[in-house]
Amino acid sequence: MDTVLSLATPPDSAFARILTTAAEALAQSRGLGPRESMRFQLAVEEFFTHLCQVTDADSGIRAEFTAKSHQVCVSFRFQASDLCLGALNASCACTLDGDGEASEDLGLILAGRVADRFRLIHEGGDSFMLYAEVDKAYPAAKAAPSAITFKHPYHAAPEQDPDRLMHAAAWAAARYPAWHCPASFQTPSKFADMVKAGQFSCVLAQDAASHPAGLLCWARSGEKGLSFSGPFVFAPQSDVPEVARILTDAFLASVAREKVEIVFSERATLDTPAGYFEALGSLTRYAPEGESDQPVLYRHLREDLGETVWADPALEEFLRAVYDRLAMCRDVLPAHPPGSLERKRSLFSTTMDKEKSLAVLRPLLDGQDMAANLAGHVRVLTEKGFLNLMLYMDLSHSWEAALAGRIMAAGFKPRLVLPFAGRSDVAVFQYAPNC
Amino acid sequence: MRQYGVDRLYRLNNNENALGPPPAAREVLAAFPPERGAVYPSGDCFTLRQALGEKFSKDHERFLVGNGSCEVITSVIKAFCQPGDNIVTADKTFAVYEWVAAFSGIEPRLAPLRDYALDPEAMLAAMNDKTKIIFLCNPNNPTGTWWSKATLERFLRAVDGRAVVVLDEAYIEFVDSPDFPDGMEVMERHPNVLVFRTFSKMYGLAALRVGYVCGGFEAVDFVKRTHLVYSVNSLGQLAAKAALEDDGEHIAATRRMVAQAGEFLRSTFDSLGLEHVSGAGNFIMARVPVPDTLLYRLLIRQGVMIRTMTGFRFPNWIRVTLALEPAMEAFAKALRQTLDKR
Repeated sequence: MDTVLSLATPPDSAFARILTTAAEALAQSRGLGPRESMRFQLAVEEFFTHLCQVTDADSGIRAEFTAKSHQVCVSFRFQASDLCLGALNASCACTLDGDGEASEDLGLILAGRVADRFRLIHEGGDSFMLYAEVDKAYPAAKAAPSAITFKHPYHAAPEQDPDRLMHAAAWAAARYPAWHCPASFQTPSKFADMVKAGQFSCVLAQDAASHPAGLLCWARSGEKGLSFSGPFVFAPQSDVPEVARILTDAFLASVAREKVEIVFSERATLDTPAGYFEALGSLTRYAPEGESDQPVLYRHLREDLGETVWADPALEEFLRAVYDRLAMCRDVLPAHPPGSLERKRSLFSTTMDKEKSLAVLRPLLDGQDMAANLAGHVRVLTEKGFLNLMLYMDLSHSWEAALAGRIMAAGFKPRLVLPFAGRSDVAVFQYAPNC
Repeated sequence: MRQYGVDRLYRLNNNENALGPPPAAREVLAAFPPERGAVYPSGDCFTLRQALGEKFSKDHERFLVGNGSCEVITSVIKAFCQPGDNIVTADKTFAVYEWVAAFSGIEPRLAPLRDYALDPEAMLAAMNDKTKIIFLCNPNNPTGTWWSKATLERFLRAVDGRAVVVLDEAYIEFVDSPDFPDGMEVMERHPNVLVFRTFSKMYGLAALRVGYVCGGFEAVDFVKRTHLVYSVNSLGQLAAKAALEDDGEHIAATRRMVAQAGEFLRSTFDSLGLEHVSGAGNFIMARVPVPDTLLYRLLIRQGVMIRTMTGFRFPNWIRVTLALEPAMEAFAKALRQTLDKR
């Protein structure tokens, strides 16, 4: 069960000590190691200290800590009339001033680096929520499970047992390329903890002797979507279609009555049975040994009742073609780039997955430096060796949709649309290295 | 319709009666004086309950009327369940029992169908000492299968009063078989039986949302304590009463339409090589070679709306309401064109 702790403070850094003490206690309660505990405390302290400087003086900061089995998180709700968090960009480098002192953004840069991930939600007006997470460290998978002889018949059902899940995750990681697997499959006990925490749900196929024969797992994506991984099948090749089909049937039966609109996968395995999903398009998978196409699959769970999206003129033709091909009804409203912007520095969140050589950018704030910031992200991430750079744009926000032209000018190409994967549809852009 | 770019839409998704309400109900609707819109309805649907009592030869206090069956389902679950309890129903049946239980903090225990029909053994096996209600949709939506008198009797004897058994008979008026059990009669031998019926299907009053529960005095009184008053509007109460009193020819005409449409669609599905399932009720299910939700979008562009079955745990099946000839022909044409292109 999650532990939740809430604190409301004035924007005064004298209260930072209370927050770091809370952070330490929560990290200890979930068995985080000293390094992760320190990172969490540091993130809390630096974010809070910075927010004290930018929060409107007459408003407070509400901090909420959540300790889950696999991670600790903090969210800060605050009001700021001219928020600029440019130092959180992955492209931001620490600079020294003329006296050899670090710039005042050092704390924010540090906070962004020590947190495993963060996001900023604009809640309207001057209200924001900044959210940061630090994961518990887990041991890597041991040797792959040894081969066994499977016995018919197979069956599939929702699974929560940690030992079975760890076994299945380790097997999937050994059998399938990293691209198809959630990152937590590399550390199976983390995957089991994430299932326990409700971050993942899964169905497990078993044979007549209860040996794990396959796995399919999924996680929330936005309010209306579920992103699935799999089906991962461990049975002999001759049984793969059958096990994949019962996994898919069990998956759809499990989620059929959830309050979500769609399921989709950007990393479905080649074992996915035919006829269950529609193709949204494909992403190019760049790897040292070459490039290949990864189909992106989806399926509505109920009738599509239409949606309204915003579109930059540069993206409108692409969107209309996509919606026509998918026979989806959408009102496409014009989102025009702003004439001028008050905020100097734009902000992107960056999620990195080294196993997949994948970095995903999400726009959090627009700013005058958008073009330079995007170029900086591409440069830094490329230098770090990431071959697959994606950018996800939620088309429910007009300001975000209006970035499309500038994003495309920075070398990102629109590849596909994930219906209902965010607050609304999400456009997926991929950086084309040769563009 | 605007978003899909069509100017006509055949609604074959909600099992509405294409013939509309019976003549007497139409007259009530047409004659409703606008000034009555300012007056609150009867809070407990007194006159309608009296009409129901007369129709079924029961005391009107044994009836409770709600804003469609969905409200009545909610009231019954509230009345008989508390946290830690569970309900038993089928995995592939009308979804609202499961939904209401789940969001009320009551565990829904789901028994798989056997050969598209509710499985008495599986439902009994799903029961435990925390089971408070068993929901039986008879005929079952969406498969149209139903339990005979003997099957239901054996089941009720096996339950032996350990839980309330709800017979949801939303589609009973479409059944024309002497072997179909009439819940109104069954409840007299089994006091743990409650019966749900609705004016939304055969009686063509879906827009007005009127459904009801009937049972023993004590059970209905228990449900009343959790039930909102004033939830059923005046027009709905008046039209439902009129429909009840003028249903003979309407039911016969609807059954003729449903039979004709069923024959046409079974033939259509056969000619396309599509597996189909139908029984009692004004609907038919078919398995399609593409995701049902994709087919929905492709058909609606041609002015035909069907029900996808993924949410009923029948992925890649569709359910089609049996309606008048032009709608059936439009559906068949759109389906052929769509599948031919793929």
